[in-house]
Amino acid sequence: MSLASFLQWLYNTPFSITMRESLWAEPIVETIHVLTLTLFLGFAVLLDMRLLGVAMKRRRMSEVLGQLNPWLFGGFAVMIVTGVLLFCADPIAFYSTTVFKVKMIMLVLAGLNVLIFNATVGRKIAEWDLSPTTPGGAKLAAVVSLVLWVFIISAGRWIAYALPPP
Amino acid sequence: MWLRSLLIAFCEWCNNSFWGHGIRNSTWLFPFVEIFHLLALGVLGGTILIVNLRLMGLRFKNEPVSELARDVRPWMLGSLAVMLLSGFLLFSTEAVKMYGNWAFRGKMLFLLAAVIYTFTVHRKVVMADQSRLAPAVRVVVAIISLLLWTGVGLGGRALGYVTTSVGSVSSLLP
Ligand code: HEM
Ligand code: HEM
Repeated sequence: MSLASFLQWLYNTPFSITMRESLWAEPIVETIHVLTLTLFLGFAVLLDMRLLGVAMKRRRMSEVLGQLNPWLFGGFAVMIVTGVLLFCADPIAFYSTTVFKVKMIMLVLAGLNVLIFNATVGRKIAEWDLSPTTPGGAKLAAVVSLVLWVFIISAGRWIAYALPPP
Repeated sequence: MWLRSLLIAFCEWCNNSFWGHGIRNSTWLFPFVEIFHLLALGVLGGTILIVNLRLMGLRFKNEPVSELARDVRPWMLGSLAVMLLSGFLLFSTEAVKMYGNWAFRGKMLFLLAAVIYTFTVHRKVVMADQSRLAPAVRVVVAIISLLLWTGVGLGGRALGYVTTSVGSVSSLLP
């Protein structure tokens, strides 16, 4: 099945039709998508600031990670699920915009950034756990993460402006 | 009533200000300011959440509440300032319409309540010696804070959908 026919199929599923036609479904899901930014973006920024050595300096890196991560991942899961639901409302129109595709690519990059961090500096946390000055690798991961989230959120907001007129 | 005239005059002034005009007439300035509103929403919400989760004993249990609160305080104040400023700019592009928007009014009332509560009761409990507080008190104080701020957020989301106007301001529209 080609991508175009998949999007067409998705567009015609009862679920997609409900998302599109119900008065409440999209506003509610979008509200959850936006307000979960408090949990997801808020905690991601706190974590990145600790990685930069700017906030929560006196706290162990491993503790900050251990305390924030479970909720951060919970928030991320909510972002993904509500995002996919929003996408279902009109897959063809959303996919037709460049800014949506750019957002998805940046999400993948943000995920890669976390994987690379975990496989490199993140593995040696014990060596700098209590140090207020963090290693260059940790700072780099934090900056990449912050920049990507700023652009991902900008892209998310921009989708509404890029959609073709109904 | 004098309050009503004062508010209407204020809305008109914002509407006609150079920034109100500028943002309204630009294609990219409005979304640009919206993005700041959203980014600050994340940071502000994150700092409020983490302190309240700590108050409820759900995160950072080994840290004193007051220390965690002090650590995130500059981020909270900074993002609150960005929220207020960017919100004011967004409001100025359609201030006369917002005057009668019930969701906007609700948002402002919740915001006022949330700010006052955060800097009085909430702050006092956060900074207090926790051994002298019953756990139930901390949980209730945290839940009230979360409810007030959720009210602000929901009001922000809802105001775009509201098309009916409570007060009649049609005479003010250009
Ligand atoms: C952590 C990941 C994500 C973040 C931070 C994020 C952020 C955002 C933001 C800030 C908005 C603007 C909402 C508004 O102001 O009304 C948005 C809209 C949107 N997002 Fe996401 N998003 C994420 C994941 C996703 C995913 C995985 C998808 C789909 C597969 C998705 C699909 C959408 C769609 C379709 C909209 C546009 C809704 C509309 O304007 O009608 N998002 N996103
Ligand atoms: C800390 C306080 C605030 C919070 C938590 C907050 C929250 C929000 C949220 C969640 C939205 C929806 C954004 C979207 O879906 O894209 C919003 C939009 C809006 N807010 Fe605020 N806000 C705050 C302060 C203010 C203030 C002080 C004003 C005005 C004086 C204001 C004016 C607006 C306007 C006009 C919108 C609609 C524009 C839009 O949809 O982007 N906000 N706010």
